[in-house]
Amino acid sequence: MTSSSAPSRKALSKIACNRLQKELVEWQLNPPAGFKHKVTDNLQRWVIEVNGASGTLYTNETYQLQVDFPEHYPMEAPQVIFIPPAPLHPHIYSNGHICLDILYDSWSPAMTVSSICISILSMLSSSTAKQRPADNDRYVKNCRNGRSPKETRWWFHDDKV
Amino acid sequence: MASVEEEEEEVLLEVEAVESVYGEDCLVIQRFPPHLHLHIKPRTADDSSQQFVEAILELRAGTQYPDEPPRVGIRESKGLDEVRQAHLMASIKEKVDELSSCLMLIALCEEAVQVLSHMNHPDGDCPLCLYPLVKEDGHGNLLPFMKLMSCYHCFHSKCIIKWWNWIQQQSETDPISNASSTSSSYSRSRTDMRGTEKENQGTCPVCRKVFQATDIEHVLNLIKTYTPELSLEETEIDDDEEFQRAEVENIRRKNFEALLKLQEENNGLIKPRRNEVLLPGVFLPEPVTPPSISPKATAEQQTEPSFTPTSETGPSKPLNKGSTSARNNFRTRKNTMRNRRVRTTEWVKKENSTVE
Ligand SMILES: [Zn+2]
Ligand SMILES: [Zn+2]
Repeated sequence: MTSSSAPSRKALSKIACNRLQKELVEWQLNPPAGFKHKVTDNLQRWVIEVNGASGTLYTNETYQLQVDFPEHYPMEAPQVIFIPPAPLHPHIYSNGHICLDILYDSWSPAMTVSSICISILSMLSSSTAKQRPADNDRYVKNCRNGRSPKETRWWFHDDKV
Repeated sequence: MASVEEEEEEVLLEVEAVESVYGEDCLVIQRFPPHLHLHIKPRTADDSSQQFVEAILELRAGTQYPDEPPRVGIRESKGLDEVRQAHLMASIKEKVDELSSCLMLIALCEEAVQVLSHMNHPDGDCPLCLYPLVKEDGHGNLLPFMKLMSCYHCFHSKCIIKWWNWIQQQSETDPISNASSTSSSYSRSRTDMRGTEKENQGTCPVCRKVFQATDIEHVLNLIKTYTPELSLEETEIDDDEEFQRAEVENIRRKNFEALLKLQEENNGLIKPRRNEVLLPGVFLPEPVTPPSISPKATAEQQTEPSFTPTSETGPSKPLNKGSTSARNNFRTRKNTMRNRRVRTTEWVKKENSTVE
């Protein structure tokens, strides 16, 4: 029905390109602490290394985020997933999908890759238990055909973890 | 040498003068030695959509005033980053030195008004495209910008309009997955609200405050040639130029520039409308018509010097700098072991999914 479920199939619009180039420049000048952008020539897919903050359950662990930008970024949210193995966290599924409202319902075009990264790190840092979501297996099985997390209708709660 | 009483009398008269000049924008904390709060605004007068900065100044004199200068500080400000605040303070300080040992309260306020008038444009980057709000397009034209009346967040006009059109388009074509448009709420309530809230509302991309179509009407009217369906992509290559060329926009810009010039020339007494009290989310002014101000009219208005009363509880959100709640707040899905009934509905496949 709509193309919103195919985040990386359509080329970036001119607006999206301009905006991403600008974000890339700002990232290079002022990268968010704990993150490293792995340079490629693909503006539409960023791979970002995340280092668990010291003093948290994820200290000394490194993970990789994959960020795919849709044609109409930043009107539409990017698709953000962990490349498995994903961190063990009550809101991160083993297939790398992240349950974080700003990536879906609460996305706003004023957010940036950098602000997403900060939210994800904050979510990791505040975790008190290294465990998968309770419905992990069922969810992951349901996503087997390469479904994007943006197609999931998430149910969010005002939880600070 | 004047006696102590005479000097005190003079100071008291000065405080009265400040009150009569600034009306409700002047809050007298103490008459002697004078302690005042002044709500300082640029001389954009009756077009509040063209006001991008303001400040509340604190003036505090000691018993030795005017022999000793008063202390001056900025209590609150809107639209001014640190650099611009420092500039404002430096200008006032210079005036203080220049007028040393004279009665100077009014002169200091006027200096502040003048500086603010020169700085009356939004600062920083457009939150949507991340390029500076006040920037030339390479042909010597400024890109048009606007602010949302309810929260004072500023955007390039064409950026916010693209966002607006996107929201509208999403709600027409895909009411379920228009996730990015309106929702800071739960998916469940989003479904409930569908249809009732979309038509003429949007949310500020920065602070998520709801704004009405009327809030951006003064910008939307400029580009009636756009249709929502076309504006996202198809006209993209031309639309900058088209927008620049739009005659109405040129008129608007001329008016704005003329107004600014007038403000700078006329030490500021373009009388504002009295009832433009802005409370966030409460009062959304009618779309404004471009001001037509002749120097003569201005001169007449000088006979009644008073400034817009504005509630101190008015919008006090900073502009586009720094972190915002929208950027930093996040909610995560609840790890619900305790409620099994909810857990079974934690995620569902979208009806219109293309998968399977
Ligand atoms: Zn912009
Ligand atoms: Zn806002």
